[in-house]
Amino acid sequence: MKTTATYGLMAEFDSPRALITAAEKTHKEGYKKIDAYTPYPIEEVAEAIGFHHNNVPLVTLIGGIVGGLSGYLMQFWISTIDYPVNIGGKPYHSWPSFIIVTFEMTILFAGISAVFGMLALNGLPMPYHPVFNVSRFAMASKDRFFLIVFASDKKYDAVATRQFLESLGPVSVAEVPS
Amino acid sequence: MSTAHAQNLDLSAPPVVKTIQQRSLFVGLVGAVACIVGAVTPSQSEKFFHGYLLAFMLWLGVTLGSMVILMIRHLTGGGWGTVIRRILGAAMRCIPLMTVLFVPFLFSLPKLYIWAGPLDRVADHHLREHLQDITQSYLSVKGFWIRAIIYFAIWNLLSYFLSKWSAEQDRPPLRDNSPRFKALSAPGLILYAFTVSFAAIDWLMSIDPSWISTIYGLLILIGQLLAAMCFAVVVERILVRHKPMSELLRPSFVHDHGKWMLAFIMVWAYFSFSQWLIIWAGNLPEEITWYYRRLGGGWGYVGLFLVIFHFAVPFTILLSRSFKRDITRLVWLAIWMLFMRVVDLFWIIEPNFSVTFTVSIWDIVAPIAVGGLWLAFFFRNLASQPLLPAYDVYAKEVLEPAHD
Repeated sequence: MKTTATYGLMAEFDSPRALITAAEKTHKEGYKKIDAYTPYPIEEVAEAIGFHHNNVPLVTLIGGIVGGLSGYLMQFWISTIDYPVNIGGKPYHSWPSFIIVTFEMTILFAGISAVFGMLALNGLPMPYHPVFNVSRFAMASKDRFFLIVFASDKKYDAVATRQFLESLGPVSVAEVPS
Repeated sequence: MSTAHAQNLDLSAPPVVKTIQQRSLFVGLVGAVACIVGAVTPSQSEKFFHGYLLAFMLWLGVTLGSMVILMIRHLTGGGWGTVIRRILGAAMRCIPLMTVLFVPFLFSLPKLYIWAGPLDRVADHHLREHLQDITQSYLSVKGFWIRAIIYFAIWNLLSYFLSKWSAEQDRPPLRDNSPRFKALSAPGLILYAFTVSFAAIDWLMSIDPSWISTIYGLLILIGQLLAAMCFAVVVERILVRHKPMSELLRPSFVHDHGKWMLAFIMVWAYFSFSQWLIIWAGNLPEEITWYYRRLGGGWGYVGLFLVIFHFAVPFTILLSRSFKRDITRLVWLAIWMLFMRVVDLFWIIEPNFSVTFTVSIWDIVAPIAVGGLWLAFFFRNLASQPLLPAYDVYAKEVLEPAHD
């Protein structure tokens, strides 16, 4: 591993408000490739780092539509083509009785798509992540709030970015080796 | 009150509330005069009371639904409920008005319910025997009024205590009334579910006394909750143009209100479809009459309109996260759903009285007249209290920015 390989610069804060303010300033300064880590979900942080859109709803919608269609078509095929049975003199293609299974299949596929779509879009499972190279990062699951500027950001500069982060009043700033 | 932010904010309702109250009162009084003329004109009287029943059930729905959402809030907590609790409370305090508006049914029972009239005039002898049977056991005029008194007594009492304890939190000292609210709300929700089911049977289902459906009460119940949530969204849209609501309402709260609307619309569709599926699958002559009437003679188009515009279209729109978070857009769907509540009640009530599709003038005038009076009373209630109880320990979840 080369000594120059850096994943980013990480600043540590001791309150959610400090993190949100710092993230907003960083985003406004022109850093786009940034991320934040908190011990519990804070909705405003996503807004602050400029994360407005994710594709999980789309994946869920597609999963739901596929599930609903396959549920309906499966019953249609069974009841009218493969094994038609006369039930109460009703037509083979009796759509009201197909709705329940169609609905259940929609929910099932949408739910499964949401879980696995979320995992896939997050790149999980992920056995290795560079942020854990900073030992203080263990506090992110306790009572500390972290902001990282990735080295891949266009505006990233080892010296200037560190100076900028230090101006935000963090508890500490650390370089994250990749 | 710990923050400067909260101390500087005047929580009383904006002056626009008074303006709307006066205009509503004007509409309500003009409408009431028209309604009285309709009620006493022999040629119009019968049609008038059909429209009046529709109007009464519509506004009763907003009133009771608001009480229920308020009780749910007392049990679960959450900023979404705190920010609208005074809107819901003001709607709930219209129960005395609805109690008074129930009195005209004293003069109209035989016009609405075949079982309340002289049974020897019923031509169909099967129906006559059935009516002789059930009027002795349950559906008697006396029983109707005794039960109505019980329903209104329960609703008025629940509203009285919930309002009283809430009003205490407008004055110092800072207090936590949530144990009392919880102790009343949990049994209150159960009482509501029973009373509204019985009321739905007495006031609506008994118009067709030879037909029964066990999910009917729940259908009326969920319609009430939906109407109440939509009404709260409309009022919060009016208030958010002014202080203090402009400072209090966050996108995350609006998002929650949108989610409630989506949930209620889905439950309405679920109950409606369940009733239809069970009757369709059973295919029994005494059960299919209800749908047979509502799918023929032009009524079927109203039913189709309900499927598309009370469920499919609003459901699809409400899937959007950004739509649910934007009060300026959500309010239009809320107004639309209130209109669809009228259509749904119209489709439930009116086919009982006419085989072919008809809309009488009273189906429009009566809901507007009752609505005018109701809104005047509602905005009077809303103006009489601050929009947030400042001395509730939970007020801070709305008054202070999160995570400070």
